[in-house]
Amino acid sequence: MELQEKITILSGAARYDASCASSGSSREGSACGVGNTSQGGICHSWSDDGRCISLLKILLSNDCRYDCAYCVNRSSNPVPRASFTAREVVDLTMEFYRRNYIEGLFLSSAVNVSPDHTMEEMVRVAEILRNEERFGGYIHLKIIPGSSDELVRRAGLAADRISVNIELPSHESLQRLAPQKKKEAILAPMKLIGTEAGVSLVERRKSRKAPRFAPAGQSTQMIIGASPETDLQILQLSQGLYRKMNLKRVYYSAFVPVNEDNRLPVLSAPPLLREHRLYQADWLLRFYGFSPEEILSDDAPNLDESFDPKTAWALRHPEFFPVEINRADYATLLRVPGIGVVSAKRIIAARRFAPVTHEGMKKIGVVMKRAKYFITCSGRPFDKIDQQPARLRQRLLLGDGSEQKQPRQLVLPGLFA
Amino acid sequence: MNKYLYDGTPEGLVSAIGAILESGDDPEKTVLGIRQDTLFEEGLFLRTDSAFAEALFGRLRQRAPDAVQTLWYFTMAETSELETSLLRYIALAFEHGDRVNGYLTHPDVKAVVAIARKAGRELHRMKGLLRFEQLRDGSWLARMEPDHNVIQPLARHFSRRLRAQEWFIYDARRHSAAHWNGHALSFGNLEQFSRPKLSPEERVVQQHWQTFFKTIAIPERKNPRLQQSNMPAKYWKYLTEKQGE
Ligand code: SF4
Repeated sequence: MELQEKITILSGAARYDASCASSGSSREGSACGVGNTSQGGICHSWSDDGRCISLLKILLSNDCRYDCAYCVNRSSNPVPRASFTAREVVDLTMEFYRRNYIEGLFLSSAVNVSPDHTMEEMVRVAEILRNEERFGGYIHLKIIPGSSDELVRRAGLAADRISVNIELPSHESLQRLAPQKKKEAILAPMKLIGTEAGVSLVERRKSRKAPRFAPAGQSTQMIIGASPETDLQILQLSQGLYRKMNLKRVYYSAFVPVNEDNRLPVLSAPPLLREHRLYQADWLLRFYGFSPEEILSDDAPNLDESFDPKTAWALRHPEFFPVEINRADYATLLRVPGIGVVSAKRIIAARRFAPVTHEGMKKIGVVMKRAKYFITCSGRPFDKIDQQPARLRQRLLLGDGSEQKQPRQLVLPGLFA
Repeated sequence: MNKYLYDGTPEGLVSAIGAILESGDDPEKTVLGIRQDTLFEEGLFLRTDSAFAEALFGRLRQRAPDAVQTLWYFTMAETSELETSLLRYIALAFEHGDRVNGYLTHPDVKAVVAIARKAGRELHRMKGLLRFEQLRDGSWLARMEPDHNVIQPLARHFSRRLRAQEWFIYDARRHSAAHWNGHALSFGNLEQFSRPKLSPEERVVQQHWQTFFKTIAIPERKNPRLQQSNMPAKYWKYLTEKQGE
């Protein structure tokens, strides 16, 4: 088969994966090698669906032995199959990198012989890149559930980021929709990665020469809407993963029906808005100090589709507002709808010079159409603050057309190991 | 208001700013502009003094390194008409050090920082969007036409990233070029530019990249507006993946 054709099949099969980040790892290039990575990550292009392209995102093989209900590549689907050799992936990566098309490689795969057999090939790609080509760019490897500890360790030493997809938010759903995947086979490598990464950090504090284990951390991906879990359950799971497994990032992908299967729900459209709200709520967990139980409760376990989760929280907590912009501390500023991490920091920097006014808030980049109902500047409200939640909801809804629009975060079905 | 004029060169600008700061005038009550050589033009002309300008930069670097960085991006923008804002920005940087960059509620600081950010953003963007092509002699060439004059920091970025290959970056708008020979960087201007022949394999790799670019997009989610807002069409001329569209 022509290389061109393999690229078509195997990048087509990889396009549903949500993660594209190449950030979080910085490596100086070596004198004779090719490539470095930069802490912030770099986008090299934007595809026709508007998503950033920073990595050669590709499957090693789409020839799968498993038959997960939600996946395009499942064995019972009649799709064209292809597999790369390790060398082909290495060469493509190097050729693309030298032309500045990419930051590096994102390699995933279907399970084509056995988990260990596939994983071994993937690890070999990363090891050839590092050892023979002296490649200093970014490498992200997907761990095949059920791979041996030894292979997971080798993957972590060669790659910047490794990740194991959790796929579905509960054990029961996994059993129903992906019966060949076992919960333990997913959680065991996650735990191992978390531990190894922790050990490597400690060792590297003692000596800069200690090997780096997945320096950009591990992430995972969950499919939303193929199974019945609530948003509260999903966020609690994510919080647990961040805390216990040392995870950097959980990606959510709205379920896109690609197969006929009576175990799957019938959806008229992928739950894009729900996925968008989950990303926003996840952000609140990681950067804003919220807990899942503050965002949702047992009697309201799903995210409000009409408001972003911070605005929804603010509407339920009128006693917290208004916040005085020129006195409130950082954590309090962060709780105001329309004020993000950047603008909270800017407010604190700017008020050292002079009190921040309503005009100043706009210059700083605060989204005033949301924030104005919740703040005072030196005691002055923006306009009459309406403490009645019902009326406030109404005004926020009418005044803020952008909330009604399609979510901007692009949404992706996550379909493979 | 005190009014001053300078000759319109970057050095003239910096030395004029230095002279005003030394004069003790209140920068908030001072304006600075380029001399137009019309009759009855108001304002005192300040002569250019490069050594003086350099000394001012040196002192500012000590006092506020981040502000010098901002200033550096600001000059990449090659803008005119913001002299007065720059004067006030630098005065504030001497007074407050790097905290000046947080003073976004001040209109002049905001103006300077906003322009610097724009130039900084384009520099970052070009780090991703620049495309190298392999030439027949094995060296590499990248062409671009950025809005801002970003070639120097851009070349430094690639001297760390692609240090094992010999390359050129050509700015077709300014007719300037950077060259990395595997060990050192040099910069120059080109009177004439003719595009050299590509290596025989170059087309094949470009096709692989075009195929990848096409198939990685999710067809049900075509979103040309989002694509264009992230990757404006003005950059497409030199983008391999956008050729033949
Ligand atoms: S999700 Fe992974 S293991 Fe399951 S069928 Fe798809 S490729 Fe195979």
